[in-house]
Amino acid sequence: MSTFPTLLWLRFRRDRVQIAVWILLFVVLEVIAHAAVTETYGDEAEREGVIRLVILTPAILMLRGTPQGTQPDAFQYFLLFGFLGLMAGLMSTFLAVRHSRADEESGRSELIGSTEAGRITPLLATTSEGVILNVVIGALVGGVALAYGAEPLGALLHGAALAAVGIAYLGVGLACAQIMRTSRGANGLASAIVTLGYLLRAFGDATGTVQPDGLSMEAGWASWLSPIGWGQAVAPYTHQNAWPLLLCLGLAGVLLAVSIALQSSRDLDSGIIPERSGRLHAPRTLAGPLGLAWRLLRNPVIGWVVGGALFGAFLGAVGQSVIDLIDSPEAQQVAGAVSQTLAALTGPGAEGTMIDLFTTGLFALVGALAAIAGVQAVMHARQDEAGGTAEIVLAAPVSRLRWFGSYLVVGAATVAAVLVFAVAGAVLGLIGSPDVGDRVSIVAQAGLAQLPAALLIVAVVALVFAIVPRLSIGLGWAVVLAAVVFGQLGGLFGFPDWLRDVSPFTHTPVVTAAEVDWTAAWAMLAIAVAGGALSLVLLRRRDLALGG
Amino acid sequence: MNTVIQTRGLEKRFGRVRALDGLDLDVEAGEVHGFLGPNGAGKSTTIRVLLGLIRSSGGSATVFGRDPWNDAVELHRRIAYVPGDVSLWPNLSGGEAIDLLTRLRGGMADKRAYLARREHLVEVFQFDPTKKGRAYSKGNRQKVALIAALATPADLYIFDEPTSGLDPLMEAVFRSEIATALDDGATVLLSSHILSEVEHLCDRVSIIRAGRTVEAGTLAELRHLTRTEISFAGDGIGTAQLDAIPGAHDLAVDGARVRFTADSDAMPEVLAALASLRATGVTVNPPSLEELFMRHYHDELEQPAASSLEGARR
Repeated sequence: MSTFPTLLWLRFRRDRVQIAVWILLFVVLEVIAHAAVTETYGDEAEREGVIRLVILTPAILMLRGTPQGTQPDAFQYFLLFGFLGLMAGLMSTFLAVRHSRADEESGRSELIGSTEAGRITPLLATTSEGVILNVVIGALVGGVALAYGAEPLGALLHGAALAAVGIAYLGVGLACAQIMRTSRGANGLASAIVTLGYLLRAFGDATGTVQPDGLSMEAGWASWLSPIGWGQAVAPYTHQNAWPLLLCLGLAGVLLAVSIALQSSRDLDSGIIPERSGRLHAPRTLAGPLGLAWRLLRNPVIGWVVGGALFGAFLGAVGQSVIDLIDSPEAQQVAGAVSQTLAALTGPGAEGTMIDLFTTGLFALVGALAAIAGVQAVMHARQDEAGGTAEIVLAAPVSRLRWFGSYLVVGAATVAAVLVFAVAGAVLGLIGSPDVGDRVSIVAQAGLAQLPAALLIVAVVALVFAIVPRLSIGLGWAVVLAAVVFGQLGGLFGFPDWLRDVSPFTHTPVVTAAEVDWTAAWAMLAIAVAGGALSLVLLRRRDLALGG
Repeated sequence: MNTVIQTRGLEKRFGRVRALDGLDLDVEAGEVHGFLGPNGAGKSTTIRVLLGLIRSSGGSATVFGRDPWNDAVELHRRIAYVPGDVSLWPNLSGGEAIDLLTRLRGGMADKRAYLARREHLVEVFQFDPTKKGRAYSKGNRQKVALIAALATPADLYIFDEPTSGLDPLMEAVFRSEIATALDDGATVLLSSHILSEVEHLCDRVSIIRAGRTVEAGTLAELRHLTRTEISFAGDGIGTAQLDAIPGAHDLAVDGARVRFTADSDAMPEVLAALASLRATGVTVNPPSLEELFMRHYHDELEQPAASSLEGARR
């Protein structure tokens, strides 16, 4: 065990930038949410109104969680915790895989394993890093709550719940790394489990039972299958249950024990699920840079498109419940407040029926999804370049234009495909609702409206790659994050206009406006095409930047 | 003879690091040219400039008389390249990667010939093409690039430390496959830091150090710069007689054996002198590049500053 401190130090040393970014992200989101609650819903009556409406709206319950009364801190917890739990889950699983399976795959584990460290100490060091990071984030988030005037025990439980959810998913990440043979496979399985946890909780919360006070809910059974659901069940400002924390820690403990058992019995570089053998010859489609880019990105692209279609179907289907809601007498009194919230998501000048506002508002999130998918495709060019596979392709008679152009084409096609399938999903979900024709027309326009902004973001990331290749992964995702936070969510968070205007999404046409103005859309499309072309020209002029 | 590759005063700077600092290289058509130097001397950087993957900061470089940066795609139709550290796509099988690289090079035009050639190479290199890219060892990844490079004819083959991951058996296979390619009139540039490999394969050699050419010529010319090592049993031979051996350097009596070195072109006189001494147990070690190499790099070991060039390769 004498190597343990060194290995732990090594992990923090490798992750220092990522850790700083994650911590900042958690703290900033927590601060923003507290500030928003104080500012937007400062009045008890306002909070009560929103909660009464939310309880009637499964879609919002799915996105947020189960409300626990009008107490401001409980209200903030209801708004944000589910999302923070999802983030903590992704952060922890990525961390676990990065220091286990990814190391094994790259051969670093072999190097470490040949020293005194052996097989188990690196695993324990990874676990410790993850636990420490989650505890620090929990403490900071609890600290923010305390600073905003939460009562100490509540703030403590608040932070502990977040840390516990993160630690539970740390165990998931470690176990996935044992099972899968590659870090890609392990990350894929782990993030699927985290997402499933979020969705189970979403389903459970949407099917929860309303308490007699009419202002709080008890989650349905499905939420009890999810660590994020356990974290929500802590209800730190009302029920103050500490015991769901034990569920999280127990799950983490079991998965850690399983991981240790597997780690000590299996061969280095082997998985539980065996690797299939590959083809003897390349299929006809794998003939040029475009075929190669498609082959490398096929699986993730299919994943994004399916995600878009499911999200669209969800939007369409819950649309019906929104219509029912609008007709209900309880809704009439708070409809104004909700329209306001939805309009903030949709953009300035939005008007029209509640259902249209709802659909187009949530289509803004589909736009973000499409942009992320497109950026991921384009970013693969950088992985290709840093990993050395671009070198052998470009040493063949393949121009830079054809090589990177292929990634741009796949990226742009991915953006379009995610939007098209989301619209198709929404149309399927809308079947059976009255006025289908009008609904479909609005949904199709809402999908189309997202295209220019998403393409523009892809083009900006392409330019980043062409100009500063070594920074493209970090800077590229920062561009996407900034665009989504300032644009899509800027209205909800109440950011100043000049900041929101930075994001292409802010200029997305508002299709529910009386007069839909497509000027900005055409302008963004033109800029996106010009940016993509410029990135190809600039790429032609720079050295291939290998490594790092 | 036609010049295939020519560089004059080639320079490449990465920030403040000078990876290439006035490199001259001449490769003639139909020869195997050895490109020798220790790690970090600038071999891979030179090759990447010649392939137009990076742009030179100064000096000139031509390949087949054309500019490697501006005419990269045209030139690549005639070139087959095997990098020093081959990276493969993790989810493509070795066989798929070979086919893909061949298609990129336009080598599928004569599909039947290609398939026959590929099958032959897969067999002689004892390569399993059905594994996924991530499952291959360094040597097997190298085989993917080697098979793809050798499966379709090229005018110029560029190998960056081609045998660094191969075992001696596979090295022999590599040599015989190179010989086949040469019969078809190809030119080969082969970088290495392994002297025996270069001595086996190459007609001419350029030795570089810290981004600059320090020695170039045929193996015979370079051997002239080196000395032959001779030793024999020294029983009953006096110092005066030893001093009479013409052209002997570094003479040393080591127990019962006498050792010395001689200039390679002085060998006839040395052997005559040994015969007249009736020397027994004579061993003669042929001149090797090793000595030349060591001589050029000896003082580098005393200049740690040069090691900073290691970073420049990345």
